[in-house]
Formats: sequence, structure tokens, C-alpha cells
Amino acid sequence: MNTGIVGACVLALALAGCGDRAQVVVYKQGQYQGKPDGKPWDNDAFSGDRTEWEATIRARNQNQNEYRRING
Amino acid sequence: MARMKFICDTERCIECNGCVTACKNEHEVPWGVNRRRVVTINDGVPGERSLSVACMHCSDAPCMAVCPVDCFYRTDEGVVLHDKNLCIGCGYCFYACPFGAPQFPQAGAFGLRGKMDKCTFCAGGPEENGSEAEFRKYGRNRLAEGKLPLCAEVCSTKALLGGDADVLADIYRQRVMTRGKGADIWGWSTAYGKPEAPAQPPAAGGKS
Amino acid sequence: MTLTRKSTSGARASSGLARSLSAAAPRIMDRRTFLKRSGVTAGASAFASALPFSMVERAQAAPAPAVGGKVVMKRTVCTHCSVGCAVDAEVVNGVWVGQEPVFDSPINMGAHCAKGASIREHGHGEHRLRYPMKLVDGRWVRMSWDDALAEVSARLLKLREESGPDSVYWIGSSKHNNEQAYLMRKFVSMWGTNNCDHQARICHSTTVAGVANTWGYGAMTNSYNDMQNSKAILFMGSNAAEAHPVSLLHILHAKENGAKIVVADPRFTRTAAKADHYVRIRSGSDIAILYGVLRHIFENGWEDRKYIDDRVYGMDKIRDEAMKWTADKVEEVSGVPDDQVKLIAETMAKNKPSTVVWCMGQTQHTTGNAIVRMMCNLQLALGNVGVSGGGTNIFRGHDNVQGATDVGPNPDSLPGYYGLAAGAWKHWANVWGVDYEWLKGRYASQALMERSGITVSRWIDGVTEKNEFIDQDPNLRAVVFWGHAPNSQTRGKDMLEAMKALDTLVVIDPYPSATAAMAASARRDGVYLLPAATQFETEGSCTASNRSLQWREKVIEPLWESKPDHTIMYLFAQKFGFAEQFTKNVKVNNYEPDIADVLREINRGTWTIGYTGQSPERLKIHMRNMHVFDPKTLRAKGGIDKETGYSLDGEYFGLPWPCYGTPDMKHPGSPNLYDTSKHVMEGGGNFRANFGVEKDGTSLLAADGSASKGADLQFGYPEFDHVLLKKLGWWDELTDDEKKKAEGKNWKTDSSGGIIRVVMKVHGCHPFGNAKARAVVWNFPDPVPQHREPLFSPRADLVAKYPTHDDKKAFWRMPTLYKSVQDQFANVGKDFPLIMTSGRLVEYEGGGDETRSNPWLAELQQDMFVEINPRAANDRGIRDKDMVWVRSPTGAQIRVQAMVTERVGPDTVFLPFHFAGHWMGKDLIDSYPAGAAPVVRGEAVNTATTYGYDAVTMMQETKTTVCQIMKA
Repeated sequence: MNTGIVGACVLALALAGCGDRAQVVVYKQGQYQGKPDGKPWDNDAFSGDRTEWEATIRARNQNQNEYRRING
Repeated sequence: MARMKFICDTERCIECNGCVTACKNEHEVPWGVNRRRVVTINDGVPGERSLSVACMHCSDAPCMAVCPVDCFYRTDEGVVLHDKNLCIGCGYCFYACPFGAPQFPQAGAFGLRGKMDKCTFCAGGPEENGSEAEFRKYGRNRLAEGKLPLCAEVCSTKALLGGDADVLADIYRQRVMTRGKGADIWGWSTAYGKPEAPAQPPAAGGKS
Repeated sequence: MTLTRKSTSGARASSGLARSLSAAAPRIMDRRTFLKRSGVTAGASAFASALPFSMVERAQAAPAPAVGGKVVMKRTVCTHCSVGCAVDAEVVNGVWVGQEPVFDSPINMGAHCAKGASIREHGHGEHRLRYPMKLVDGRWVRMSWDDALAEVSARLLKLREESGPDSVYWIGSSKHNNEQAYLMRKFVSMWGTNNCDHQARICHSTTVAGVANTWGYGAMTNSYNDMQNSKAILFMGSNAAEAHPVSLLHILHAKENGAKIVVADPRFTRTAAKADHYVRIRSGSDIAILYGVLRHIFENGWEDRKYIDDRVYGMDKIRDEAMKWTADKVEEVSGVPDDQVKLIAETMAKNKPSTVVWCMGQTQHTTGNAIVRMMCNLQLALGNVGVSGGGTNIFRGHDNVQGATDVGPNPDSLPGYYGLAAGAWKHWANVWGVDYEWLKGRYASQALMERSGITVSRWIDGVTEKNEFIDQDPNLRAVVFWGHAPNSQTRGKDMLEAMKALDTLVVIDPYPSATAAMAASARRDGVYLLPAATQFETEGSCTASNRSLQWREKVIEPLWESKPDHTIMYLFAQKFGFAEQFTKNVKVNNYEPDIADVLREINRGTWTIGYTGQSPERLKIHMRNMHVFDPKTLRAKGGIDKETGYSLDGEYFGLPWPCYGTPDMKHPGSPNLYDTSKHVMEGGGNFRANFGVEKDGTSLLAADGSASKGADLQFGYPEFDHVLLKKLGWWDELTDDEKKKAEGKNWKTDSSGGIIRVVMKVHGCHPFGNAKARAVVWNFPDPVPQHREPLFSPRADLVAKYPTHDDKKAFWRMPTLYKSVQDQFANVGKDFPLIMTSGRLVEYEGGGDETRSNPWLAELQQDMFVEINPRAANDRGIRDKDMVWVRSPTGAQIRVQAMVTERVGPDTVFLPFHFAGHWMGKDLIDSYPAGAAPVVRGEAVNTATTYGYDAVTMMQETKTTVCQIMKA
């Protein structure tokens, strides 16, 4: 996996995959050349439901707010 | 739409380095690589303040702008990630980053020779989410598990906040309103004018 | 200002941004560990055959991502300080693969410091002691458990035969859980000696003695959580931001809500950085400052007169003494100008409830017992004790130092502070189900059975002191370090001599520890290392500083060949011939005493301090229902356990002791001690009647009208026994069965718990009586606390004015010097002008063998250092990061890195005490078993510390001694 040859192969594959679906926000000056990444909600836990994932994250975020626990 | 951010409340950060070891623990980060670290100013004198720093997942990220092989991407949630298969380890991003976030591991670390490594916001990288390959190259993917970065989740004083920027803003705003002032740190008075006089005048030798 | 400016610090800079700059060429630990961590398994396995320890097991146990295997969650508690942070461990196929925050815990709400956040590393333990080993001709040789047990027990039995049971010294551990600590005291008793101790001696022994003698119990009165209710907090001798980082979660929350924080310390600590006011004091001058503070309080009428009249004895004498401490005198001794002294007084008096926090900065002095009583007196004068938001918040050190103090291996007491008198022995013999006469026969004599043993701070003198001067027949000939570091004790140079002189030295520990290295550097044989399991490899309860008990589940099986401590105790008990008596009431499975059974036995015996209500069942219910407890009050709001239907409503988290009576009585635990605003069955109380009912014609009982809420007796009363119960006509409220057991007994020895039940539940009274706190402790050397200069003081003028105590002949079995040492070193300041003090770093704990072996922590603090003020450094031609020699009057010298910083004043230097493994300039790496040396080693500050012990508890003086520094 560490060699340039393998890297180049991956690059080619990644480019081939790019056209299929918009996976990433692309920086203006350059086009992301790497492997496409999945969405954090595309799994068994969230079954592709982005809204549910966002709600989970927002709820989880409140664990960083001790005021909610102390006064709740 | 969720937009992921870190903020560190300097009124609370006590430089305990919990965020640093949490990161090491979660991602098996090797010795010498510091995806996160704590910076202290005025160390040992009144006015000492600490701040936990990692990749800030910039909205207009300089690393992305300078990367010669365009290995960076930003996810829909605003997390800046990169593809280690593509990265050539040139270090341009290290020059560009104002926070010193990019790290260049010793050969072999993370299974990839000399590739740049940095904070992923616990979002892994461009391998299948939760896969062995993703863990080996980028570390654990907590976001895909519905969790947030471990550094922020375990912060000893809940100084380091990480997650949806809107939620963080609410949490931080409540603190600022409760204590009646913002951060006693550089930049605040420049941006917002002098803070209100503290309730009690500082003693000689007290905080600045 | 740029982010890259990382102060003037030296070693600390390694945690700063400087690291990123050197990231391209990181410092390497050792090749093997690096390869392992980096996941290059092919390389590692090729390497394996050459390794001193087989890597095969490690490779199998290598952390894999939590994908694939079934994840089992185990709930445990961090083992690195007394806050008691809960941890959820993710275990796959027996391997600890992940760690999740426990947001539900009311104590830490998910938070961790560097140590807690890296606790999982202990589940892998590459630097652990893996097998029993012994020193053969100066080299470490592996041996089997069978051989090790046979050899060690034969040697110890031989010594017992030749010199009696008092020739062996047992150093137990505050890192043992309650059950193990309790078994340790029982074990040593059955061996036949009181020569046992643990870290509490050198941690908070002065607090426990001073505070218990003031008002009843020697423990933190309130809790970390309760500090959210404080309006002012005074830290004196505590650097909580580093030593108890997660406590700052509650403290900074309080600050955010308006609490004023004052830090008085010789060092501008990270806690000071978060304070409203910082007051720099001269190390060891606390009593002078606190009298100055009290003078301002009395002069301004800020004291709580009604409270003092109702609940305090002897405050007038404190007031008289305070009036003598004029502004000039206070400043002369402490260096603190009067306006700052007044600021402390005013902040505390005008922002009530106000609380105080102290730690080793106050306890580790020759006057420690008096310093801590001054803190109590300050709080009593202000009426702050027994009040939510007030109290004395004494932060303990180790994760279970409170529990080990309560029920563990103390030389002066059986579990539960019962003492060593015949009555105490009979009580415990009864609980253990053994014959008192048999126990007595285990000891050299009844006199030695009832005489306090040698303390851990003095074992070295127990070995080397002339025999005619010690208060027991033999000198010590063997020492067993059972979970204790050597470098946390002072006089390291003398310790090495003692180690040389021993017949046998045994280390029972998860890590070989600095003991192994020190011993191997000085001996050829007679040293044994036995691998013990950590608290993650067993189950059991531990007591946090706030007296809450938490139950740890077993996370993983013991690593390598290690065994749990209680199993090792049982195996030795077998060899020594008392295994049957040792576990009379306890199931034993495969040589392992059942931990829950042990806790039940503790429950049946420890009435004095209310360790009776915390049954294993109740504790486990608390652990799985953490979310119902409020983080401010620690009280459950409703809540029914799903598994058992148990109702949690009204209970306090972890049933903080005292949790009186039997578990069936359902006492909820006591969140804040001595709180009269609550009913005793709701956790309320009052000061303890433990010192008689009158002194010199003055009543010691609480005044009329002062009692806990709803008590039938609304006035002072003595403690309850069968006589008082009969006099009050309450005796017939006992059941017939209870009467049988309670006849002739008091509330502490009534094994039915009936007296406690009737007094508390029926009449709302306190079984230990209702008395006044004692501002004057007449049984101590200085009943009214007095400032006394340390034995090694750079100020000859103050030594003349405030001399120390006279020498003592037989004190904890040892002659103990005060005046003669101070006189001899009266002018020590000429050659050693710097005050040397020591303390903690956030990354490490205690002697540091465990934490310095954790690479995630070790990377953050790689060098032992000394903090020195720029003024003192410049005068000596020292620059930041120079290597320097720190020389002490003992002739010891240690080589460390200079950190030039204004954190300390020009007259003081600070050194962290967690380092060991270097000895006066030499790295001892070759003296550790191969591969088991900690990642980071350095000089131990205590190699250079001097003589000096507290006049009540034998606490060692670490915080104020002297040194000179020069460039290496």
C-alpha cells in the first residue's frame, strides 16, 4: 500500500468514481483527487437518515454542557 | 445543517492534557505525533491562559489551498479530511496551517510512510466508515457512531467543546452570560472593547 | 501575540507547540515499543524472538478497532486520584479496545484529565512486571509462582521464628480497593504485627488525626460537587488543577456563578492561574497567616458568634492567640503583607458559605497536625462547617486512600478507627469469626498487639536504628512493598542503606517499581518481585474523597502472570497456616476470596464510620443508575432500578459514609458531615461526642437548641450505649434478638445494629452523640496550634523565635528527633539558601511507576526538572533547560533540568515528586527487569529530602526543606 504504484492505482480508481455522485465539497482552486468518502449516517445505526444523525449529534452535544445536567 | 467546530474556553482550560491523551487513546496515535496539544501563554505568571489546539477544520482551509496533489476534502458537516493514499508528505500544508496541525509521523506510523497525519474530528477518512482500513490509516470514526470527538467529550472542565457549531455557540453564550464577561485573553478587547471591570479589583500580584 | 509563544518553560515545552516543530524527528521511546504502537506487526513479529519478554501474547492482545467482535461494556473507576471518575470500558474478546465517557456519572459527568483519558493503556501494560522474579547474583531471574511463594514464605517464616513477627514490615496500598485493603489489615494481624501502613501516612495522616480530633471524623466534610454551592473557596496547599483536575469542573462552575477563588501557595500554580486572587506565601508559614486571617475576622466581628456558642469549644483561646499575631509578625514569618491577609479574611467572611481546600501543601510538615486544625478553626469561626457550600474540602490523593484509611492497613488501628485496645480486638475477632486468644497468640505479646506499629515514613530507621533505641524487640529484617513506591518517602539516601541491610525485600506490584531498581543497584540477592493485577483486573469498591463508594467491575482478566492482591494474600495465608481463619466468613473460589463477601464482612463490623449500609448490592444499583443522581446535591431524584425494583429516591450517590446501620435500614449516606439542617435519616448530623462530656468544668456537649433537624433530643447528648438507651426508656424498642446482641454494648459494638436503628430511625438522634467541635485539642502537643519553624529552615532568626518540639524517645516505636536536628542545622541557610518544595504534575501519579510507563502520558513529561526563579537562576549562572545539581544537607545531590520560571519566588525551588529511576546522576535502567523499566525515568526528589516528622502522626516533612543549586 505504501508504494507510488499502488497510490497511482488508487488515484485512478478514485477519479473513476468521482463522476458517480457528489461526495464532497470541493475547494475552488483545485479538485479533490482522492477516494470518495461515505456519509456518517450511511450505516446500520442511522440507515441513511441524515436528520436522525443530526438530531443524535445535537443531543449528544449537550453532554458537553454541564448546566443542562445540573439545572435540569 | 450541522457544521462541526471546536472551541476552547480559555477561562476553563487548565492544561490538564486530557484532550491530548484521549486522542492518543482513541486513535492509537504513535509517540511523537500530536494531533492535539495544549498551548499556554504567560506560563507561570498572572495572566496564564491555556488553549487546546488541533486542526480547526477551517471553512476556507489553507491546507486545501496549497496542497499540490489536492488530497484534502471537506465533508458536508465541515470536517476537513485528507486521503493518505494521495498525500505525498511534502509538508506544504504544515507551512500553510496557522495552528501547526499537520503532523509528519515517523516512517511506518499509521502504516503509511511519511504521510501527513492530523486531527480528523474523529471522522476517520476516505475508507469505509468503521472499517479496519479506516482505523489503521486515520483512527476511529466516532461521527459515524453518532458520537463526537473524544477530546471534547472527556475534557476535564468542559473547556474544549466540539460538535455542531450552533449548539456550541449556545453552550458558550450561556457561560459568558453567567460570568458576565468573555474570555480574559488576547484579542477579546480588540474585538469587543474593554471588558467590564471585574466585580472585585484584582489584588496586587493577582491576575492581570 | 502568536500561538507559538510557549513561555519560558523548559521541560513543559515538550507539551507545547514546540513539539509540532520537532515532529519530523520525534524522540523515540524504544524501537520495540514504537514498532508495536505503530502497528507494523510484520516488523514486530520478526523482532519477537529477540525480545526478553515474549511479544506473542502482546501481539494477540494488540488493540484492534472495535469492529467485528462483540463489544462488552464494563463500568469502572479511574485509579489515579480521589475524585472517582467513572469510565466505561469497551472490551472485545477479552481485550480492552476502547474507552467511553460516562456522562451519567454525577461526579465527573464524562470528564477526565490526562491520566483518566489514557487509563486504557494500563489494560495493555507493556512495561508491567510479567512474572515472579528474584535477584540472583545481581540479575533478575524469572521464577514460577509456586517457587516464588515457597521461597518468600520460607524466608519470612524463618525470620518470624528467629526474630518474631515484628521483624517484618508490610507496606500496603491506597490503590488496593476497600476489600483488599481490609484483608491486608486482617492478614497482617494474623501474621502477628501492627507493623503495616500505606500511603495515607505520608498523604493526609495529619489531616485525619487533626480533623477527627477537632470534630469527629477525619475526612473531607463535603464533596467536590457541593463546592458548586460555595461563594468563596480558599486553596491553601492544594494545586487541584493538577492533582485533582476534574474537581475544577465543579469549582470553575462555581466560579462562573460568582464564587471568589483565592489561592495561597508558595508557587503560582495552575490553580492560581484560575483564581481571583493569588497570595504568595513562604512555605510552611500557614499557621501564622491563618492567625492573621482570624485576627481580621475577630477584629471586624465577622465571626459567627451564635454558631461558636452553640457548637464550638475553646474558640476564646484561639481568639487570644490570633490577637498576638499582629500584621508585623505575620509578615515577618510568612512574607505576606497585611492587606493580602485581610483580603483572604474578607473574601471568606463576606462570601458565605465559603469553603477551604488543602492537600499535601499543608499536611506534609512537622507541624501538619496543627496547620490543618487552623483551617478547621477558620471554618468554625465563620460557622462554615456542617453547611452546604462550606466545610473543609480536604482532597485526598490516591483513588482509594480514603477507603484504605477507613478500613485498611493502619499501624495504629483495626478497620473503622476502632484502635488497638483489647475491646477493639475482641470486636474484630468476633466479626472475623476467630478466637481472640488465638489472635493474641499470633503476636509477640499483648503489649505489642496493643501498641501502634512503625509508620511507613520510618521503616528505614526500623532497619538501621540501634536496637536499644527502638520500642520493639527486633529490628526490621524484611520489608514487603505491596503497592507502594519508595520514591514517595523522604530520605532516599538513607533508604538505600536500609535496603542493603535487609534480609529480604519483596515487591508485590503490577510494575517492578523503583524499589526493584534501587534494590538491584545495591544488592546481589534476597529481593523478590511478584506481579499483582491492577484494579481493572479485579472487582471491588473504592471510596472517593467525598466518602462515596463506587463499585468497579472487572474489565479484563489479569495480564501476564499477575494475580489479584487478595488472591496473593490468600496464597500466603495458606503458606503461613492461617488461610482458614483468614477467610472464615468468605467464599474462596480458586484461591480468590470473594470480593462481595469481603465487603459484607466489612459491613458487619464497621459501625463507627457507617461502612455498614453500603452492601455490594446497593453499590451496584448505584453504579448502573448514575443518571438519577443530581450533580449538585448528589441526591437521587426518584429512580427505580430495573433489575431489582429497588427505589433510589433520596439516596446520595455512592452512599457516602457514614451510611449508618444495616443495609435494610436504608440510610441514604451523608453528603455533608455535621449538617444540622437535615434529619439524621436524610444524611444530617452534628459534631461527635468523642472526647468526654466536659473539660475543666466546661461542657463539651452542644448547647441547648442545637441538634440535627427533627431529633427527639434538641440539646447536646453523649454517645449511645445500652445504659443510655435504658435510662431514656428506649431499650424496649429493640427487638428481642437485638436486645440479646446489644446487651452490654455501645452503638459501635452492637452487632445487631439495633441501637443505631432505634436512635436514628425512631428518635432522629445521632448515635455518636451531639457535642461541640474542639478548637483546642488538649491531647495534642500544641493544643492551641503554634507556628514552629521546620527542622531545616534558611531563617536562623525565625528558628530562634519559633523553635520546634523537643525530641521524642519512643514515638510510633521510634526515637524521633526535633530540637536536636534543628539546632544542629540552625545555620543551614548559609550553604543551602533555597527552600526546596515538591508536588504533583497532572500527567503522573504518586511515585509514578505506573504513569511513567504509559507512553501516552510519558510523552508529555519527559524530563525531571526543578523550577527556579530567574533571579535565583541568574545569580547562579543557570539558564533555562541547563542541567543542574540540586544538593541537599544530607550530602545527596540530584541531576535535573532547570526550568527558569517566575512560578516560584526567588527564595524557593519546586520539584515534582513522580520521577525515579535515576540515582544521583546515574540512569538505573539496567537495574530493572529487562523491558520493564518505565518509559520515562529521572531523579527522585526524595533522594535529596531531609529528616523531619509530624509530632502526632509521623507524617514526613517534604514541603519545606533546603537545598543549593549549581550548574551541572
